[in-house]
Amino acid sequence: MNTSGRSLLLSASIALVSACVTSTVDEMIYNEPIEGIGDSSVVILGRRHGSDYETEPDFVLCVGEYIASYDHSITVIGELEFINALYPWFEPRTAPLHPEDIDRLLAQKPVAEKLAALKVEYMIWLDGSTVRTGGSGSMACSLVGCFGFGTWAHDANYEATIWDFTDQAAVGHINTHASGQSYMPAVIIPIPIIAPVKGAACDGIGHQLLEFLSSEY
Amino acid sequence: MGVPLSRSMISADLPHRPQLLAAVVFTCLLAGCGPTTVVVQGNFPPPLIEPLPLTLGVWYGDDFARHEFFDEAKGRGESSWVVNTGEAQVQMWDTLLAGMFEKIIHLNNKPGPGQSNASIDGVLIPHVEELQYTIPIHTHVKVYEIWMRYRFELVTTGGEPIAEWSMASYGKTPTAFLQSNQAAVNLAAVMALRDAGANFATHFTQVPAVQAWLQEKGVLANASTP
Repeated sequence: MNTSGRSLLLSASIALVSACVTSTVDEMIYNEPIEGIGDSSVVILGRRHGSDYETEPDFVLCVGEYIASYDHSITVIGELEFINALYPWFEPRTAPLHPEDIDRLLAQKPVAEKLAALKVEYMIWLDGSTVRTGGSGSMACSLVGCFGFGTWAHDANYEATIWDFTDQAAVGHINTHASGQSYMPAVIIPIPIIAPVKGAACDGIGHQLLEFLSSEY
Repeated sequence: MGVPLSRSMISADLPHRPQLLAAVVFTCLLAGCGPTTVVVQGNFPPPLIEPLPLTLGVWYGDDFARHEFFDEAKGRGESSWVVNTGEAQVQMWDTLLAGMFEKIIHLNNKPGPGQSNASIDGVLIPHVEELQYTIPIHTHVKVYEIWMRYRFELVTTGGEPIAEWSMASYGKTPTAFLQSNQAAVNLAAVMALRDAGANFATHFTQVPAVQAWLQEKGVLANASTP
């Protein structure tokens, strides 16, 4: 089989084992940088002060990687690196909830110096989570294999709030909602057909943020 | 956090004789392998804060440095838990206090009469008064949580009280694919310890009796208040 034939087979296999995802993105941007963010950097942080959920670190990482992979000129500071460098000011208890709180942070001389050294121009807060919303079916496994059928759904809801560090103001909100149904039929071997719900939400929000931050998109 | 989230308490020094090994395995099976043990491990960053120009003595009592929480199983399907936070407590508080004060000195003995040391401005004695945890099997919420309540004593090297106050801390982590209960409880404990550090660092200078002490030492104007 030639290379294009293999690629076609691989694409068809991926399409077959991926379930469908419905995704919507809403954005409200007030003050987009026309020339991109230049040599400044951006930090993407997850909100963690909710009592029954927290924004997954892997989602925050996914959005950062999406932006950095499409525009190599944008420096995205890692979440853990940032909150460790600025400990204790970005812990769930102490993290600023409103752009006006930036003043309170900058009043701390070591914090102001660290933020200046990191060249943070934009701070993006991601708030939300992906949850499993239901499931049905049954499967029985024995020595000869598994038989049955299972299905489950996931819902992803995230909001990105963009803070301009220089102007100390919120300059944009992006909401994304994605949902999808995953399946797992089993005739001897279980074949998971996974709906990449979180991935779709990451791509949706990542693309809008890329358009905001990059001069090339 | 870049380090193993949990480690086993079982010693690596295994018996050599097969009969003894079989006996150990059989006893282990009969006993359900004992309680689930978590020795909390994590990395704690130094605080980004203007240090107070004071020399602080620190004394960790045995109850603190070897702090261990034991919770007996309440039902047939549950396991008993031992959460050992002592080592991580000392690591976190050492890192935090070293960043909050110009100098810290570890004391070998509890402050008391006849132990005055003019170079030390005050001695901090932390205590873990209470620790509670929840795992999804208890609450049916997909979150692991740890609460801790601390009590702090700030005394002179002679043991005379300067201030005493309580403080709570909280840490949680959501369930994750292929994450064991021990790893999740460890991560929740690390979050609770980080929260304790954040709470202490941002509120220390707001405790009224501490404020009076800082004024007496003439350093309140330089104190880092959020």
